[in-house]
Amino acid sequence: MSPSLVINVLWLLPLVAALVAWRLPSVRAILGVILAVVVVLVPCAVWLVALSLRLGRVTAASQWLLVDALSGFHLLVMLVVFGLSAIFAWSYFGAEVAHGHFSLRQARRFGALWLGAQGAMTAVLISNNLAMQWVGIEATTLLTAFLISTHTTSASLEATWKYLMICSVGVAFAFVGTLLVATAAMHAHTGSHNALLWTELLAAPERLDPLLIKAGFVFLLVGYGTKAGLAPMHSWLPDAHSQAPAPVSALFSGFLLNAALYCLMRYLPVVEGAPTLTGFAPGLLVFFGVVSVIVAAAFILFQTDAKRLLAYCSVEHLGIVALGLGLGGVGTFAALFHTLNHSVAKSLAFFAAGRLGQTYGTHDMNKLTRTLHHSPVWGTGLFVSLLALVGAAPFALFMSELQVVMAASHRHAYWTLGLFLAGAAVVFVGMLRRAIAMAWGGAAAATPRPGFALLDLGLVLLCVAALVTLGLFIPPGLNETLVAAARIAGGGR
Amino acid sequence: MRHALDFVLVTLVLTDLVLLGSSRLTACIRLVAAQGVLLAFLPLALTWPELEVAAMALAASTLLVKGVAFPLVLERAMRDARARREIEPFVGYTPSLLVGLGMLGAGTWLADRLSADVVRSPLMVPVALSMILTGLFFVISRKKAVSQVLGYLVLENGTYVLGISLLSETPFLVELGMLLDVFVAVFVMGIAIFQINREFDHIDVDQLDSLKG
Repeated sequence: MSPSLVINVLWLLPLVAALVAWRLPSVRAILGVILAVVVVLVPCAVWLVALSLRLGRVTAASQWLLVDALSGFHLLVMLVVFGLSAIFAWSYFGAEVAHGHFSLRQARRFGALWLGAQGAMTAVLISNNLAMQWVGIEATTLLTAFLISTHTTSASLEATWKYLMICSVGVAFAFVGTLLVATAAMHAHTGSHNALLWTELLAAPERLDPLLIKAGFVFLLVGYGTKAGLAPMHSWLPDAHSQAPAPVSALFSGFLLNAALYCLMRYLPVVEGAPTLTGFAPGLLVFFGVVSVIVAAAFILFQTDAKRLLAYCSVEHLGIVALGLGLGGVGTFAALFHTLNHSVAKSLAFFAAGRLGQTYGTHDMNKLTRTLHHSPVWGTGLFVSLLALVGAAPFALFMSELQVVMAASHRHAYWTLGLFLAGAAVVFVGMLRRAIAMAWGGAAAATPRPGFALLDLGLVLLCVAALVTLGLFIPPGLNETLVAAARIAGGGR
Repeated sequence: MRHALDFVLVTLVLTDLVLLGSSRLTACIRLVAAQGVLLAFLPLALTWPELEVAAMALAASTLLVKGVAFPLVLERAMRDARARREIEPFVGYTPSLLVGLGMLGAGTWLADRLSADVVRSPLMVPVALSMILTGLFFVISRKKAVSQVLGYLVLENGTYVLGISLLSETPFLVELGMLLDVFVAVFVMGIAIFQINREFDHIDVDQLDSLKG
């Protein structure tokens, strides 16, 4: 097998499958195709990651496509999220079909947009050309917009509109940033046709004009930061996450945000390498990270909607990832590890909240009571995932957050550390209070209890097992990938 | 060709200012369409007197997308929604004009700070940046969904000018990918406006306020 063929399959297969899904005759067939694409792509991605670890990087399409440890790791996280969500979609939409809430027309639109979004996100990850990476991010916005309003209601359309406008405008700023960085690259390598290639930029960052790079990174941070949901550019996020169907919410939280942050990770070593700019980009990331944690903590305290609570929790966790990246060293490793842990935990949380919301008919946490009694499987899933998300031991998120704390104390960044811990403590109290109330509190709901399905139990057990296992030890292969990816994003710091 | 180029750039700024002072949506849509036609001249003006295939293709697709397709989509959306004018923008028309002038100043100041050595015309980067800022202001200050799309388009037109002025040899594929993205974006926004209108019976964005906190 030639590596360049496999790289092209990664992004083309979902697009072809999107066209197929558009014409399939049944809802089950569409949901099956969504899952099958992930099953085919996982071995491809694993093989490519192993190859890139051995060779350093694998390129294709005259260097426009690139797989190295950093993109490989994100590819794997993406496939995990897409895979879990595809399994969950089977049970979630199955229940909706049974009640007549999910027609074939909706399913076709959902399937085509879902697979198209997967293709676009893959293109973002494997693109070595920074402008094409931007094109990919913009494409994910457009493809996922109507996933929010899969069920056309006034609230979901409101969320769709806000998402479309805020993210389109935000991402346009990222394009300005990309242009400024490319200009710096053109001045540095006069006559080069590959000024927009990341590998070219990284080859000689010390020749880049610091002023252009500095202005460029500010625009990039605001632009991609909007899409990544960093505060204060996060205003679209709670609406979109709460109105989308649960598998889509999981996808948004689990990977859409990470894809935007990934773009910033690519620029980080370039900006760090530019003359006189050491410490500039990490400082900004630390700032936005801390602001995100604190803003999210403030909003989490007053949430009554379960999915909005989870959305603000995403703002917090993306803030932690940005913080880890900004601190550098062990923090970069922790940030990447946290990405994986957060994606798994948040997917499970959205699955459980979505499925419980279906049977209770509401996401209001004051009405989601006695969930453990109502549905032992999803009640447990919600409680355990919330426990993991607040950073309780022995779950994996505890480990990665602990590493961020270590990174902060290594850097003697005590103010940052204090603010982060204060924010995390507020989140801990605010969310745990809600989690306990939903699990045991209140009166039993009068609504009929959902039937027991082996698939649901398997999904919950799989996620919980992954979170506990990763909290106790990191498999050697994953560790090697993480270390190599952290070296790339950290620029050898 | 320097004079023609400067003429196009100055006209772009003027369309921005007229746009800020207009309340009728039809007029606004035509102004943004006029901007699209002006933008189509830029790639040609830069390579003049040689006529490169890539530049001509970019000019033709710009003309087709920004000058023809967008106005059609937006006028359709406006008709469907029966929205004729921006009734009460968050910021009035006269203050908007003053803000527009302020944006021009800000764009010039920012371009001066960046000091990217541009060979063609010293006006290009300031005009591009002021268009970006004006577009952003337009998105924030108007209430009708169609107006917000127009603001987004002005912003995108600004990045188009910036892209052409900063990169002497932008890969053609990149420009085209960008144009395609904006094209799809406007279509998606058009569909969203259609659905919002069907669901709410209006397209006033300030009334989309049920999701809070």
